[in-house]
Amino acid sequence: MKKILIIEDDKLISSLVQFRLKKDGYETHLVADGNEGILAIDALIPDLIITDVMMPFRSGIEIIHHAKQSQPDTPIIVLSSLGEEEQVVLEAFNLGVADFVPKPFNPNELAIRVKRILK
Amino acid sequence: MAKSLCRIVISLLFFLPGFASALQDTIPEDSAGFRDFLVLQKEVPGLGARFFVAGTRTLDLNTPDSAYGFAQVDSGYLSPIYIDFLQAAELEGLLLSDSVPYRLDYMVLSEPASAAAAREFVAGRIRSGDYLVKTGPEDEVEDLVALASNTRYAPVEKFRLKFVSDYRLFGVTLTIVFFFLVAIIMITSMLIMKAGKNKRENLQKEYSRLIVDPLTTLLFEKDLGEIQAMDQSELDSFFPKNLMAKPLYQHELIDSIIGLNKKMKGDFKEKLKALYKKLGLDKLSVKMLHHKNWDMATMALVQINEMDLVEALPEVKKFTNSKNFHVRSMAVSTLLNLSEKVDLVFLRDQTYPLSHWQQMNYLRIIRFVSPQKDLKLGILFDSKNRSIRLFGIKLVRILGRVDMIEKLSALAGGVSDEEKIEILETYAALGAYMESAFVNECLRSENPSLSLAAAKAAAVVGDAESAEILLELVQSETVFRNKLAYLKGLYGLDAARFAEFTSSDSHPELQDIRDHILDPMLQNV
Repeated sequence: MKKILIIEDDKLISSLVQFRLKKDGYETHLVADGNEGILAIDALIPDLIITDVMMPFRSGIEIIHHAKQSQPDTPIIVLSSLGEEEQVVLEAFNLGVADFVPKPFNPNELAIRVKRILK
Repeated sequence: MAKSLCRIVISLLFFLPGFASALQDTIPEDSAGFRDFLVLQKEVPGLGARFFVAGTRTLDLNTPDSAYGFAQVDSGYLSPIYIDFLQAAELEGLLLSDSVPYRLDYMVLSEPASAAAAREFVAGRIRSGDYLVKTGPEDEVEDLVALASNTRYAPVEKFRLKFVSDYRLFGVTLTIVFFFLVAIIMITSMLIMKAGKNKRENLQKEYSRLIVDPLTTLLFEKDLGEIQAMDQSELDSFFPKNLMAKPLYQHELIDSIIGLNKKMKGDFKEKLKALYKKLGLDKLSVKMLHHKNWDMATMALVQINEMDLVEALPEVKKFTNSKNFHVRSMAVSTLLNLSEKVDLVFLRDQTYPLSHWQQMNYLRIIRFVSPQKDLKLGILFDSKNRSIRLFGIKLVRILGRVDMIEKLSALAGGVSDEEKIEILETYAALGAYMESAFVNECLRSENPSLSLAAAKAAAVVGDAESAEILLELVQSETVFRNKLAYLKGLYGLDAARFAEFTSSDSHPELQDIRDHILDPMLQNV
């Protein structure tokens, strides 16, 4: 079973994403801030990371940095609002994220992207 | 020094004999006089008197019920020692009336003494200042000691009176007590509020935890039709009735649904809206509109706007002229966003001036909705509010509503200069060539701001007459900046006339302006 780490501070959003991905048969783990996210990446060694950009303690960009250093082959999907600066999105892509899903989003669409990446 | 000593000795020599003679005058020399003197004094500390009756008498002097109270001794009877000479005089009177021979003995410090010794003892006490001689009967009313002995001793009452009468002490004490009281009340209130806040936060966390699961399940396991067809018992299985009755739970549920609605797209949005209505939360939003706190009313407007509660629009309309800026702005935004037929009457009737922020906010919504809705902008020109009329003219320009030029033309003659400037900008932006007469009229205005705006518009929509007027203005104008603006207008309108005019006049200022206008690097300077 593929392991997916969801790093998102909005509990409702993370629960929705978790519910949807569990339906597709993935093992999901939720964390609510940047610090916990970095610890979970090292502890879980997930097959995919879904992360928000704006979070408490550490930003999504710092998480991507860390993930790309410790597990360079793990794909990352950035789930963030369009309102955020374009520069941040570009930086995320430059760091090698697999996909970017802007909010507002459709969880079904996210599930399709996850399936495609993990195939 | 010797002189001073001599003076003191001489004074003493004069003073002491005088003092001695004064004493002699005070204490009578004879025994009867001395006795009367003692009766007048009543008591002299250290001095007493005793009566002695010699031999055995038939008169009963020593029985317990006797008025005398004498004690029998070997040679006769001895009375007690009297320190009150008034009592002694009374006893003497009794002895005399009973014809009992007696002897009076004075007692100095409990020792028998002669009358002369007693007299000397009294004189010594007077000299030393230990005793003050009474010269007449005592006036009890004026005697402070007598008064004091008659007054009840009440220390607490005395203290209380002093405390109240000392207004400074009383004031300071009162202030300290007041501060302590306020501090205690404040600390208690803070503790109560903190406890209440903690309780509320814990409840909020608990409720949001309880909301996540049913909301997620509903969104993924039921389609829109199924949500709309849900009956009350089914809804209760997801959101229990007892919890739905609690305002805090309702509040959390509303926040969760609105939060999700902002971050979701597709059919999830529709499901959330359907659920919002199904749970009766729309009624709560409408009810909250009338909340006395403006922030709650604004929140209700946000909820109505986010959840597309079109049926609440008549209620929302009532708040478009609210005295609160935020409520008013949000109500107008909600109406512009949700109303199918945006006739803008609510905006026309607004009495408060529109701020730049409000104009920007409304414009953003109007730009978004204008392709789908028929905006009757002309209504705004009828407003009594000048800022609304100006906003209407700006909207014509920004939305590119060429069809409104005719309407603008009809009202252009009778409006304020500020509105005329806005109309000129609109004509220039929309290329309204047929309005050159209005431009020329404004060029001739005595208001420099209007004339300059007309020069700017003339560059785009002017005619030959505009060029002539501009030339006249350049020649009559003395202010450099205005001259530059007129020449810029002329250059934009007719470059050939501009070249002809500037080459014919060699005035250095004119040549500077010409170089400035023709320099492509300075075009926007």
